[in-house]
Parts: sequence; structure tokens; C-alpha cells
Amino acid sequence: EPVISKGNNCLDAAKACNLDDTCKKFRSAYITPCTYSVSNEICNKRKCHKALRQFFDKVPPKHSYGMLFCSCRDIACTERRRQTIVPACSYEDREKPNCLNLQDTCKTNYICRSRLADFFTNCQPESRSVSSCLKENYADCLLAYSGLIGTVMTPNYLNYNNLSVAPWCDCSNSGNDLEECLKFLNFFQDNSCLKNAIQAFGNGTDVNVW
Amino acid sequence: KGRRGQRLKSRDCVLSEIHLNVTDLGLGYTTKEELIFRYCSGSCESAVTLYDQILNNLTQNRKLVSDKIRPQPCCRPIAYDDDLSFLDDDLSTYHILRKHSAKKCGCV
Repeated sequence: EPVISKGNNCLDAAKACNLDDTCKKFRSAYITPCTYSVSNEICNKRKCHKALRQFFDKVPPKHSYGMLFCSCRDIACTERRRQTIVPACSYEDREKPNCLNLQDTCKTNYICRSRLADFFTNCQPESRSVSSCLKENYADCLLAYSGLIGTVMTPNYLNYNNLSVAPWCDCSNSGNDLEECLKFLNFFQDNSCLKNAIQAFGNGTDVNVW
Repeated sequence: KGRRGQRLKSRDCVLSEIHLNVTDLGLGYTTKEELIFRYCSGSCESAVTLYDQILNNLTQNRKLVSDKIRPQPCCRPIAYDDDLSFLDDDLSTYHILRKHSAKKCGCV
């Protein structure tokens, strides 16, 4: 299938979504609040997050992961993938908080707290395992990762050339907690279990799990 | 009943669909995304009411003279499909189409 893999997988996934009634419906159900400007704000972030959570809850992984975890060879593809969650509304903010402060905010919310815990459990890397995951289950790791979308911990792709992801935070002003902060941030940015899981889905090499 | 009923039904007002590129719609968007466009087509002969019959008679015997009178029901959407969204080729703008595609047809 070299002909297929040369194309833009993220575009193909978007096409497939709009040809499916459920995916089409829940896609525009989040695009609408995530792009609708209210008073002096770029959007209603709370409504955008809620609709994004519904999208990943209701749409079968074949379509939702298809758009979020598509494999790419060029910038038109990676940029489309980065735009999947409408980052201007759901991700970016005026200020970048410290990751440990963001984690504290997350822990005050029931959904965010439990989904973050799932993510740390199911995407735990293990260098000695074949899959690079302690749990040896890519599907659970991707489910946990996508579960964070629509919480204050919403992650997204950082750049064009690799699968590095992070929530909207950094480790400046960490004081004595710098090491802990970097450990938290690197669990997103430099996580071989998560990267392998995304890659396996994108290449269709782990099809048995879906 | 069976044969005649089926033949009538196939001419009746129904929902049909066609797979298109968004650019085929001629709305001026630049995108490579696609959609299923659903539309209403077919005859509304079997849905003629007494109202239509009277209008027909009145225009024929010239009690009513107006080219704006339509003495027959028309096959039109009575409900619209869900919204459609797509990413522009600039890779930063999303567009949303509303009431762009039929969901249910009726003779109205």
C-alpha cells in the first residue's frame, strides 16, 4: 500500500469523518464553540472543551484517532493534525502556567484528576519491554491520552518533525521543584510508550487492538 | 398493489445523495475536504390535495390569474442534515456549513 501512505493521512481522515454521520455531527459540534468568538474572547473555552470531550467519548476511535493520530510525511499533514483540536481555543492561552501549578488546577476537577491518573498509569514507559510500555497496551495509552483533551491538561503536538506533545505549560519559575516539574513535562514530551502507541496507530501496525 | 405501488414509489419525492468535493458546491471555499450532499427529488403527483386541485381548476377557468401560483406540491427538504465543518487549505481557518443538505423530504 505505498500509494496510500504517500498521501496526506490526516486529510484522508478528515474526509472519512465527514462521510460518516456520527463523526461529522460531533466534529462540527466542537468546531462551532471552538471557533465562535464571544465578546472580547477568542472563544468560549469551557464549551469548546466540553464538546471536544464529547467528540472523543462518542465518536468511534477509527475516526477520532484517525484525525488525532494520523501519520505524516509533510507539513501540510502535520499542521492539519495539530489543528485537529482547534488549539487557538482549546490549547493556547495568554500565559503559560507552570506545569506543577497546572497539575494542581487539574486535581481540583474530578474529570481532569481521574484522566490524568489514567494517563500516568497507561502510558508509563518501560525501556525493557518490546512495546516500550509497562502496560504493553497501546490502545489503553491512546485512550488515556485522548481523554485529556477537553481538560485543563489538554495536550497537543509541539512541532512539525516529531511526535512530541505537551500540555500548555512550562517549568519556568519552578524554584526547588524544577526536577519534579521537568519529570512531569517529560512524561508528555519525551515518552517512548506514547510515541510508539501513536506511531503504531498511524502506521496501522497494531491493528489487532482496535 | 405490489407492482403499481412500487413503480409509483420510485417516482415519488425521495432523498438522494451524491459524494462531492466541498469546492463542487461553488461557495468559494478552498479546501480538499469532501462531503455527502443530500437532496430531494421526485414527483409529488401522489401528494396532490383538494387544495391543489381547486387551484388548478381556478387557474384553468381563469378565475385566478397569476404566474406566482403553483398548483402542485413541490418536493423540498422538510428537515436539514447536521452541520458540516472543514478546515480551509490555509490550515488555520475552519468553516461550518448549516442547512446545506437535506435530511428529510416532503411534498410541500
